[in-house]
Amino acid sequence: MRSGTLLPTVRPLPPTAAELRSQVRGFLAGERAAGRFVPACDAWLSGWDESFSRRLAARGWVGMTIPPEYGGPGRSPLERYVVVEELLAAGAPVAAHWVSDRQIGPNLLRYGSESLKQRYLPPIARGECYFAIGLSEPDAGSDLAAVRTAAVRADGGWIVSGVKIWTSGAHRAHALIALVRTGPPDGRQRHVGLSQLLIELGQPGVTVRPIISMTGEHHFNEVVFDGVFVPDAQVVGTIGDGWAQVISELAYERSGPERLLSTFVLLDTLAGELASRAADPGAAGEVGRVVARLWACRQMSLAVAGALADGEAPEIAAALVKDVGTRLESEIIEVARMLTAAEPDPDAAGIAGLLAHAVLHAPGFTLRGGTNEILRGIVARGLALR
Amino acid sequence: MSAPDTERDASDAERELLRDTVAGLLAGHCTPERVAAAARTGWDADLWQVAQSTGLTLAGTPEEAGGSGGDLAAAADIAVAAGAAAAPVPLAETLAAGMLLARTGLAVPSGPLTLAVAPARGAVLRRVPYGRVATTVAAGPGQDGDWLAVIARPAGARPGRNLAGEPRDEVEPGPDAEVHHVPAGTAEYARRLARLFRALLIAGAAQRALDLTVTYAREREQFGRPLARFPTVQQELARMAGEVALIVAATQAAVADHQAAMAGHQAAAGVVPAVLAAKAQASHGAGIVAAIAHQLHGAIGTTQEHRLRLTTTRLWSWRDEDGTEAECRAELGRAALAAARGAGGTVGTLGTVGTGGTVGTGGLWPWLSGSL
Repeated sequence: MRSGTLLPTVRPLPPTAAELRSQVRGFLAGERAAGRFVPACDAWLSGWDESFSRRLAARGWVGMTIPPEYGGPGRSPLERYVVVEELLAAGAPVAAHWVSDRQIGPNLLRYGSESLKQRYLPPIARGECYFAIGLSEPDAGSDLAAVRTAAVRADGGWIVSGVKIWTSGAHRAHALIALVRTGPPDGRQRHVGLSQLLIELGQPGVTVRPIISMTGEHHFNEVVFDGVFVPDAQVVGTIGDGWAQVISELAYERSGPERLLSTFVLLDTLAGELASRAADPGAAGEVGRVVARLWACRQMSLAVAGALADGEAPEIAAALVKDVGTRLESEIIEVARMLTAAEPDPDAAGIAGLLAHAVLHAPGFTLRGGTNEILRGIVARGLALR
Repeated sequence: MSAPDTERDASDAERELLRDTVAGLLAGHCTPERVAAAARTGWDADLWQVAQSTGLTLAGTPEEAGGSGGDLAAAADIAVAAGAAAAPVPLAETLAAGMLLARTGLAVPSGPLTLAVAPARGAVLRRVPYGRVATTVAAGPGQDGDWLAVIARPAGARPGRNLAGEPRDEVEPGPDAEVHHVPAGTAEYARRLARLFRALLIAGAAQRALDLTVTYAREREQFGRPLARFPTVQQELARMAGEVALIVAATQAAVADHQAAMAGHQAAAGVVPAVLAAKAQASHGAGIVAAIAHQLHGAIGTTQEHRLRLTTTRLWSWRDEDGTEAECRAELGRAALAAARGAGGTVGTLGTVGTGGTVGTGGLWPWLSGSL
């Protein structure tokens, strides 16, 4: 096996990383001191705060890789990585712009038409334009190629009908990027005939229905399209290339710092509690166990980020980051449970409240972005078929 | 492409070439028969001669100190290759000991070397890797600085072995051992080098275990199809790959960190001790990797005849040598809590966090990300 198969060679972070980190930390300290946010677990899903997004964007930290001609600061993907991991480690409320920043900006830069770029990139970089992702459907979960939402050719565009599900934030987002069927599958080649469309959400024929999570929170939705007209200008990339475009996005989606840091605030808070009381050697060992794993996971994630920034497509390594990282996110909860006297309490501040939130969010860690079982299948086939 | 990229690509290509050359050389010599035979005599003297004559044994030690030059990354690649090949020679040990001697400005003796961290000066050294065939470089803390002893191959080394049959010998520093006074911190540095090179050996062996298992799962058929086609087998292969990738990532990062610290580019104080974290992860992963490798190989993998054991017995030994995961985790955890305490002074005054409602110390992340 070539040494780079499992993991690309680690590239050093850009020299600007340290300065960026200290700027972001300074900003976050100010926000906390002003009482503008309380660190939370999984805040990249549940921390929707549009004014926070705009303040972040005012500093150039949303849509960071968008070039100046489209209103962005034109920073590198690794500089974005540094900023994002600082925000996640602090449990900052980044959910509003999350999809726009991680997915839509890079996707439009790569595949978008000039008019799509002009239309969406500047407001994304201002932290004002929020997106949802329309991949899963009631009958297409892990089996994504089974999507049935249909786009039928019409004069100057497409008429879309179908249902998307688990679309985080669709009730507050401005638009949704949907994987739809624009043509029939080619026999067993089910990936043929799929395309990506950007669909504005506040228009007739689009119904957004809430799906309430077991936490009582409303992140997920079911989005129904009933004969919605989508003009040709809203097609992303090439009709029929939707599958390849989605797959190329997934490496970013699977290997980012959000796949290991969703419960970091809990670990940090636990460490604070343990540090303030009499040392228990067993507790230090347990903290050391998850810290070693988290540190190693981060190195994996960084290696993949470096390779992606250089235009490589490390699919196996990206899938491994998500499998290893998301299981660790849950393991941190287990360690916290064993080492604190607090019971999970949804109404409490501090570690009891963090635990409650994390425990109820944990099942989602290994589901979203492709279930870990599906990812492990990708890894194994990648290894065995080379 | 910008200039730094071109430079990096060139050095990457060079490194890749070195890796391939070393792996090819070791693979040619480390046949399962020869590795198994070496366990009976303790080592493979012919292989040692080949490795020494090609300059592999002192890579990472500057030429002016008697080494063959190159940086830590080159030495690390050689150690990984030695681990992958189950090379029955003290290659990693010699590389580590050579680097220690060069750093302290002492002459590097020719021939195989090994490294030992001693509890006290003059004490009998236990379970020294290849102690019977190598010059032992031992270091320990003393009053007013540390000491370092160079013990030429002792005639009376009491032989012992690990699970793989590698020599783990008792060495008594005789009256003719050269003892040097060295700066405080040298013993700790020796421990770190020993730990790093042990973790690198594990990284190589873990990759080999995965290679062997993937190949076996592809070739072995049951119920009319290859094992690799069974979803349950695929799940385990991927879990194994995840553990191997963690070890590779951790050891790569530890090498980079150690190199930066050696070059004085960054203060090692106050941030995550990378070598310690890497060994904690490597030792933990070694057991998981070995277990899955055996499970997927079935009964044949448990035989003396099968080459899998040459790799797994090393994983089971190396995970306990130079610091088990329990030792490394405890030390790492204490450092993590100290980092959290340093930043979270308010936590203590508010009582326990659970009742005080404080969230996050802000201290753990700068420590963990290596950026204060």
